[in-house]
Order: sequence, then C-alpha cells, then structure tokens
Amino acid sequence: MSLHLGTGTAPEAPTVRDDRTGVNLVPLATKRKKQPKVPGRFPWIAVIPALIVAALFTIGPLVIIVIFSFMSRPPTGGGIIYEFTLEPYVNFLFQSDFLGNTAFDPRYLSVFGDSLWQAAVTTIVCLILAFPIALWIATRPEKKQNLLVMLITVPFWTNLLVRTYAWMLILNDNGIVNTGAAAFGLPQMDLLYTPMASQLGLIYTFLPFMVLPIYASLAGFDFRLAEAAYDLGARKSTVIRRIILPLATPGIISGILLVFMPAFGSYVQPVLLGGGKVLLIGNLIASQFGDSRNWPFGAALSVITLVLLMVALIAIALYSRKSGKKVEISL
Amino acid sequence: MTAPTTSSGSAETTGVPGAAAAVPSTAAAQPVTQPRKPPRALRLRDFPGIAPIAIFGVVFLYVPILITTIYAFNDGDSALIWKGFSVRWFGEVAQNANLLSSVWVSLQIAVVATIVATVFSILFALSVERLRAKGSAIATAILTAPLVIPEIVLAVATLGFIRMIGLPPGMTALMLAHTSFCIPFALMPIRARLRSLGTTYFEAATDLGANTWQMFRRITLPLLVPGIISGAILAFVISLDDFIISNFLSASGATPLPVFLFSLIRRGASPAVNVIATMLLVLAIVVTLITFWQSQRRSKQHA
Repeated sequence: MSLHLGTGTAPEAPTVRDDRTGVNLVPLATKRKKQPKVPGRFPWIAVIPALIVAALFTIGPLVIIVIFSFMSRPPTGGGIIYEFTLEPYVNFLFQSDFLGNTAFDPRYLSVFGDSLWQAAVTTIVCLILAFPIALWIATRPEKKQNLLVMLITVPFWTNLLVRTYAWMLILNDNGIVNTGAAAFGLPQMDLLYTPMASQLGLIYTFLPFMVLPIYASLAGFDFRLAEAAYDLGARKSTVIRRIILPLATPGIISGILLVFMPAFGSYVQPVLLGGGKVLLIGNLIASQFGDSRNWPFGAALSVITLVLLMVALIAIALYSRKSGKKVEISL
Repeated sequence: MTAPTTSSGSAETTGVPGAAAAVPSTAAAQPVTQPRKPPRALRLRDFPGIAPIAIFGVVFLYVPILITTIYAFNDGDSALIWKGFSVRWFGEVAQNANLLSSVWVSLQIAVVATIVATVFSILFALSVERLRAKGSAIATAILTAPLVIPEIVLAVATLGFIRMIGLPPGMTALMLAHTSFCIPFALMPIRARLRSLGTTYFEAATDLGANTWQMFRRITLPLLVPGIISGAILAFVISLDDFIISNFLSASGATPLPVFLFSLIRRGASPAVNVIATMLLVLAIVVTLITFWQSQRRSKQHA
C-alpha cells in the first residue's frame, strides 16, 4: 500500500468518523492565504530533519533514476556507465538487429497496454463492488457501521503477500476450486499462473482501498436529504443517481487513484499469481534490475511510468478544479 | 481425506448466494414484520439490490484468508491435503531459525523507522507553519511523495541511489529507506490532531507565561498523544508489512520477514506459509482493534 490519497474534507472540521477507517481524510496542504501565528510552535529549522531523510531517500532516488535513464549500460552485468545516450528510450520503441537496422518493436508498448488494461479492469470491478458495499455500510445503524468498517479494515491491514498467497491456495491444481470441480466430475482447470489469476488477485487486494474512501465520503450523509427527495416523489434509483452519487464523487475519485495507480505498477500479484505468463510494467521494471540487468532501460521504463501517472494525476486535478470538487492528496 | 474440507469450503461459498437471496426477501418483509420496529427513516435508507452485492463483497474479502487460516491447522505435510486438525506446524515454524531471524530483522527496522519517523514528524508538524505558505506546501509535497510514486519505481530508484552513494544493501539502507516512507504515515495523524486542537490552548499557555519548552512539555506533547500513537502504529505496520522496497535493499543476514515469506511462497504453497500468513492476519486484526479502540475512546472524550 504505497499510495494514500484522500478527499479533502474541510480542515476546520476533521470528522472523528474518518478515524475509524484508520485512514484520515484530512487534506494535507490547505491553501490558507495567511497562516495564523500560533504561539509555542518550533522555529522553522525543525522541519530540516524530516526533509533531509525525504531528500535522501525519496527525492534523491527519483533524480538518480532520471539520470540513469540517459546513461549507458556496461558491456556485462548490472549497473551503469556515465555516458550520455538516448538508447534506453529508443529501445523502448525500436529494436536493432545485428546489421544495425532498427525496426519498430511493439513488445514493450504492449506490456504498458496490458498493465493499463489490468489496472483499468481492477479499478472498474472494484468500483462496481465497492459502491454498494460503502452505501450499504453507510446506511446501517451506527453500531453495525463500526463493526462493518472494522471488517473492511482488517484485510486493508493484512500483509499484501498474505492476501495474494490466499488465492494461490484457492486456485492451485489441488485447491478448493479444482477439488470442488472434481467432486462434480468436472475436468481439472489450470487456474493458477494465468492472467485471470493475476487479475483476480489485483481486484481482491485493492477492494478495501476503494471501499474505505467511498464510505468516508458517505458516512456523514444526512438521510433527511433522501427523505426530502422521496417526499418530492423521487424513486430510489433517482435518489442514488442525483443525491448519493454526487456526494460520493470525491470518495470515488480518491478510490480510483488509490486502486489504479498501485495496480498499474503492481509487482506481487503478476509474479505470484500470473507466474511467468503475465508480464506487467511492475515486474518488467523489476526484472531489468535483476536477471537481465539492463539498469538504464529499467530506469527509462520507470521514468515513462512516472510521467504517465503524473499525467493521470494532473488530469484528475484539472477535473476536480473544473467540477469544483476538492480532491487532495493526503492520507 | 479431502471430503470434510471441500464440504466446508463449498458450504462457505454456496452460503454467498444463499445469504444474498435471503436479504431482499427480509427487506421486503420488513414493513410487515418489523422485528425491532426500525424507525421510518431507516427503511428509507434501504436501497434495493445493494445488500446482496455488499454481503457478497464482504464474504469475498474473507473466504480466501479464512481458508488460509483453516489450513494452517492442517496436520499433513502438504499445504492443501487435509489430514486432520493439529497445531504441529505452529511449533515447527516457531523453531525455524531463518524465520525467527527475519522477524527479528523486521522488528529492528520497524522500531528504528517508527521512532525516527515519529520524532521527525512531530518536529515537522510543529514547525512547518513557520514557513511561508508556498514553502510549507512544497515541504509537505516532498515528504508525501512516497505515497504517489509506484512502489516498484521507488524501490529500483532507491537501489540505484544507494549504489551511487556507495551504501551497500543491508540494515542501514533498509532503516533509512523505511524511515523515509514511514514519515508521511506518521505525519498525517499528528498534523490532523494538531489542526483539530485550534489555537486556544497555546494562547492560554502563553498568557500564563509558558516558554516554548514548557509549552511543548506540558501542553503540546500531551495534547498530541492520540495523533502520535496513531501515527506511530501506522508507521510501524507499514514498515513491518513492506515487501517491495525491502526486497531490493535486503542482503544476506538482513532479510526482513516479508522478503523471507516471499521466497517461501515462490517455492509453492506450504503449511509453514499458511501458519505465517495466519500470524500476519492476527497482527492485522490486533492493529485494527487498537486503532479502533483508540478512536472510539477519543470520540467519547469529545462527546
């Protein structure tokens, strides 16, 4: 769980309700024109230690990866040579043969396409499941709501490897599904190590990331609004479409971000559930720093991924500005 | 041999459509029977077709991890062929020296990363307002960047970075990297808490003549405790659970638990993995209960 985005609730009223998810939906950088001067705060110097750590182990690596992507690879082994070249980026789209002819090579583009597809399917299926779950929880009595949110939070906190491994047990040749199928006389199915398994694992691991933000945006809903709508003759479907859906939009957007971005760069699910058959951008990057050891190419792939995600973030920021709905990156 | 488990497994899975089918009928019957006379507003809150999907979703979330837990108590040597109930594998796992050392490595990293990240976050939260608005926004963006960067990209970038500065993979690299990505998780609840306190306590303390240190010791720190606890728990669990970044920075003798677990899982399903998975699930439940209990207590205090 590398990514936590939340919707901006008003900073003056951080609801205690949000705390139940373990995820605070309070915006980080509020654009206050003038910061009120509160006594007893530390001098500005105290920001330095945290910034040094971040500069060393967040910004530093990012700068390095951009630099690496323009460097050459040594004749053997991993690592880089500090000689400027655009070769890693050229390699992304073109392939050279021994004669020096370059031809367009869609292999890596199709890996990006596959990653985009799996991430998009994951996001859509999670949304279809998560909206009813979140709405259902939000419409239960207070006590029951607490319990249900806890039920969603436990998988959220369970180690990613454990959640992925659980599906290895189920989809295994001797797993529940296949033994069940055998009991009905059905032939054995190859379920594990397929793109389908990887897709299922992605949906399973990211579902709580979609439910929690949508629930958080619906939790404080004043149901007198819905009641008023009924009194005015609205049907249930109209209430969902015209009242609840707009209300849930900030939660839906942050849910989409929380699911889509990590699903796009996923590594664990395609490796463990997809076996060798599923190549997504995450394990392609990892393999460039491992077995085949082309660091500059791996760095170029990372930079392309970062740029794509940045474009997605900017698009969402523009959308939220246009629609007047505040979506801020926070925890 | 497999009969009892398959029946229990299929009972759970067939329970889904059964339960789902039962819900709309009770919802339809509600106006007539009214078992606990729900107020009118509550019935208006029910939307047709929502409950079956929601119940399916919750069951979907739990069936896989419950199956893993059940098989952790398998007596057999195979992960999936049921040979009767036993806690034998818990004993065997507890004696696995490699596992124990990986747990120890993970705990050391998590403790160091949590303490450093929490202390630095307190310092940052209490001083960032002294920067101008723009500086404060930039500083915050730098600290929270790990949240929006795909983990795999941050992992390979960090590997390249430590190689360039000449730091070998191992404990130091792991501790520094963990501290860095734990800071946003520690910071967020602390800042939220600070924001919710407003200015009155601090103004009152100044009026009564407290200096900066006295104010911190006697006013700010005690008031921040709930946020600090939440932040520290978040940071600790995030560090303990991290696999991808740790995978690229680990060295022999410095293998955190998730990296060790991954190497076990890659060799295939095994009863030992089931046991470790169950223990990590218990950890998740404990963490959920603690954070929950804490927020409940807090909301009671506010009420």
